[in-house]
Amino acid sequence: VSPQQFSALTEVLFRFLTEPKEVERFLAQLSDFATMNKISLGPLKNIVKSILLVPNGALKRNLSSEQVRADFIALGLSEEKASYFAEQWKVNSPTLTRLAVGQTLMINQLIDMEWKFGVTAGSSELEKVGSIFLQLKLVIKKGSQMENVYIELTLPQFYSFLHEMERVKTSLESFS
Amino acid sequence: QLVSALHNLTRHVVYRGLTRAEDILSLFPENFHQNLKNLLTKIILENINSWRNEAQASQISLPRLADMDWRVDIKTSSDSISRMAVPTCLLQLKIQEDVALCGNSPVLSALTVELSKETLDTMLEGLGRIRDQLSAVANK
Repeated sequence: VSPQQFSALTEVLFRFLTEPKEVERFLAQLSDFATMNKISLGPLKNIVKSILLVPNGALKRNLSSEQVRADFIALGLSEEKASYFAEQWKVNSPTLTRLAVGQTLMINQLIDMEWKFGVTAGSSELEKVGSIFLQLKLVIKKGSQMENVYIELTLPQFYSFLHEMERVKTSLESFS
Repeated sequence: QLVSALHNLTRHVVYRGLTRAEDILSLFPENFHQNLKNLLTKIILENINSWRNEAQASQISLPRLADMDWRVDIKTSSDSISRMAVPTCLLQLKIQEDVALCGNSPVLSALTVELSKETLDTMLEGLGRIRDQLSAVANK
């Protein structure tokens, strides 16, 4: 495989790694590459699969780009190509790391919040009430399903909730 | 019969929100015993605020927030990446189901929610907007 072909292939690979949802585009680009360079698609796919294992393993073990280069050379790739790949790796690793962190498991993740507030006008016990209520709707991801949770808060509760959340933010910021 | 009548009287007073002695006195029939009328009015007036508060507390409502707790964790590794330092927040909300339905045995459920820093920032923005809207309403 010539250097230009290799860099084109690497580009395709990294584009897929940074956007793992674009599977179809990746496969289309792979078959374009195969036809352009007169390589058959089957063996190319196998090679690509083994190449992809390296960045994924590197992420898991937090390898530096030198280590990635050493891995590739150990696999039998030429020095020039290994260096090129390692360079690309260094450039892309922040994005890839961010993606991996984003995939980390989250328990009951809060997805969305809606609210409304209003005044209770009357009830069956009290003819005129006039008290303010706040209703929150929290959309939570439980496993793969979304669940809506509705809560009502009084004004004092709202203010202490806001206060607590601001404390959380300060705490999170001190750890970033 | 006496208890039921008293009950009706107090319910009526609470419902209408009567706070003045004259209003309550006017509810009694003409030939009611004077001293008893005054005594009853005095007792009702003493209790009216706590009765109103209790009625308000046991109104039907959506599930209410009873308590909340939080903790901040730092995620250090996972199956997809072996070293990282990502702070995350766990928020536990204790929710009480409809008070009117539960009566004297409140049903409390705990919901634990995880928030990333971005989610928390967005949530705080939303809460800030609520606070601004509330003060706009209060100042009208």
